[in-house]
Amino acid sequence: MTNVATGTGAAATDTRIVSEDDVVRVEDLRLSFYTSLGVVRALNGVSFNIPRGKVLGVVGESGCGKSQTGLSIMQLTPGRIESGRILFREFNTSEVIDITKLEKNGPEMRKIRGNHISMIFQEPMTSLNPCYTVGNQIEEAILLHQTQDKTEARRRAVDILRKVGMPNPERIADSYPHQLSGGMRQRAMIAMALSCTPTLLIADEPTTALDVTTEAQILDLMRDLQNEIGTSIMFITHNMGVVAQMCDEVAVMYLGRIIERAAVDDIFYDPKHPYTISLLRSIPRLGVARGQKLESIKGTVPDPYSTVPGCPFHPRCPAAIPGLCDTVMPDETFVAGSRTHTVRCHLYT
Amino acid sequence: MDTAKKNGRSDEILLEVRGLKKHFPIQSGFLRRVTGYVKAVDGIDFYIKKGETLGLVGESGCGKSTTGRTILRILDPTAGEVIFDDPNIGKVDLAKLNRAQLKRVRPNMQIIFQDPFSSLNPRLTVGQIVGEPLAIQKVASGQALKDRVAELLQEVGIRPENMTRYPHAFSGGQRQRIGIARALALNPKLIVCDEPVSALDVSIQAQVLNLLEELQEKYDLTYLFVAHDLSVVEHISDRVAVMYVGYIVEMASTEQLYYHPKHPYTEALLAAIPKPDPRKRTRPIKLPGDVPSPANPPSGCYFHPRCRYAEEICKVERPPLRDIGGEHWVACHFAEKLQLQGVTRLNEIPLIELPRRQALVPATTAATT
Repeated sequence: MTNVATGTGAAATDTRIVSEDDVVRVEDLRLSFYTSLGVVRALNGVSFNIPRGKVLGVVGESGCGKSQTGLSIMQLTPGRIESGRILFREFNTSEVIDITKLEKNGPEMRKIRGNHISMIFQEPMTSLNPCYTVGNQIEEAILLHQTQDKTEARRRAVDILRKVGMPNPERIADSYPHQLSGGMRQRAMIAMALSCTPTLLIADEPTTALDVTTEAQILDLMRDLQNEIGTSIMFITHNMGVVAQMCDEVAVMYLGRIIERAAVDDIFYDPKHPYTISLLRSIPRLGVARGQKLESIKGTVPDPYSTVPGCPFHPRCPAAIPGLCDTVMPDETFVAGSRTHTVRCHLYT
Repeated sequence: MDTAKKNGRSDEILLEVRGLKKHFPIQSGFLRRVTGYVKAVDGIDFYIKKGETLGLVGESGCGKSTTGRTILRILDPTAGEVIFDDPNIGKVDLAKLNRAQLKRVRPNMQIIFQDPFSSLNPRLTVGQIVGEPLAIQKVASGQALKDRVAELLQEVGIRPENMTRYPHAFSGGQRQRIGIARALALNPKLIVCDEPVSALDVSIQAQVLNLLEELQEKYDLTYLFVAHDLSVVEHISDRVAVMYVGYIVEMASTEQLYYHPKHPYTEALLAAIPKPDPRKRTRPIKLPGDVPSPANPPSGCYFHPRCRYAEEICKVERPPLRDIGGEHWVACHFAEKLQLQGVTRLNEIPLIELPRRQALVPATTAATT
């Protein structure tokens, strides 16, 4: 079993920073919030990569840092990035940019944000500006990054609205967000995010606020667009069902760390980390064990101001080893016999 | 698996709803003239047997929460009957009771709200919140009240010492437990659970669902379980009713409804569930358009503009909810003819047993040496 940290040691020497297939590589990202109540360590060394044209699902309970990871890549997080690198390479170029080195509001970051990396937020109600029409808001991104010609921008905005399955896109482009239903607003958000054909799309709980039939349609749409444009997607969600339907690879997060990372099939059929296992067992499954108790994880996620010694999951873990799990932080290691499945647990070291 | 649930369930009907309507007036202009009605609940019929859980599902805006609230008379119904079998008074029509009469029935019917952050008064301590129903009904006071509150908190898994703390000190799951303790305070018969787990994280959701099931068994409770998560409803319900734009379109046992649906809307709803199994990727049934507004519903069957099986009759005649046999109620003209697809059973995920601690010790020593 190789240690991942040493396994990627060669990559860290800048010779081949991002392998050919990766669009983004996050290395040992640490993020903190300095609040009046104390320091919240939101991310404690997150490392992952997203291959070209793949969908990476990031799952975990609220407060585990999944949204902050996404916001860090966009440089939109209000927290402070303490250390780590976010290496990004856009389509068809060999130039690699370390996003953490860029100034938050500097011209380079602005060139990337919304153009090469774009984001879909959870709440379609609050993330669209109520004072501008949907068309205006899509055109804004296009005018900023793609073309100066207003009629051309308008044409592209209507085009992309048609692509996301809006009936009568001309009329929708002239509507204000309050005139649209939740599903239509989320489609408008997706249209906006895709208007510049980004290399990486960060989707932060894009369907959580939607009804199940609308959710299914949005997921279907994202899948189609992803096939067509070839965008890589970082899909942040807490819904294991959505992960199973959408993602190629999955990273499970707990308290600011990735505790297991594998192909989607391995996560569901061969999970290793006790947290992943418990998470899968705690969701009701259609036709399985109805009328029986669900397995639940005891306790709750610890309060963010405190730090847990050892493995952060050990107070809730059914298989915790006294004297080891509560003192030593496990390293991320490859599961025996696999080149893609990593887990951060003493059971597998 | 179902036998466990059937214990304690009888064929006696605890609550029967007949033709229940709740219309909200739309007022406009300077004189606030009524220009129309939002028909949130538009003539629904259903019944709940003693000790069972009836799941009420539907998309947002279909009137499921309004139904729950109208039954409890938090909202006054526009029309219809709500017949509740009160253990002390016998069968009463809740829709016709006045305030004083209602107060006598209320201990037997309670509600658990969706949002644990807004349903607890931030200026009352947990003890006061849980004790309030007891004080209002003058069931207990002084030390007896404190003891009862402590007992209730214990029951839902909150340490009684926390009685003097305020809601802000608790997490979402704990607050929901406090809400459950409050609903249990007066030993109710019927509890309306209005999306009790949708605001919670998955691991906490499982804890609360288990708690609700334990309490049901222990106190012989009857639940009306309002939710939009179809997997949760499948897990907890004995029977399920599907609502669409203020109307029940299908009602049957959970088994029947999920595996042999008879209404096209149910079929579409089931196909849309994101299934937690990467080997069973599904494509949703395309439903054109949006859910119609209950202020301006379409003619005939409300689902016909989006239904792929719709025919001429669907545009003009609204199908009644009828029993097609075996307590399977459907509101569709073609319920008998259509061959609809239910959900497929998911495999139990072959989860590995977590290694035992003892077995692990040699393995870890081997790894460290």
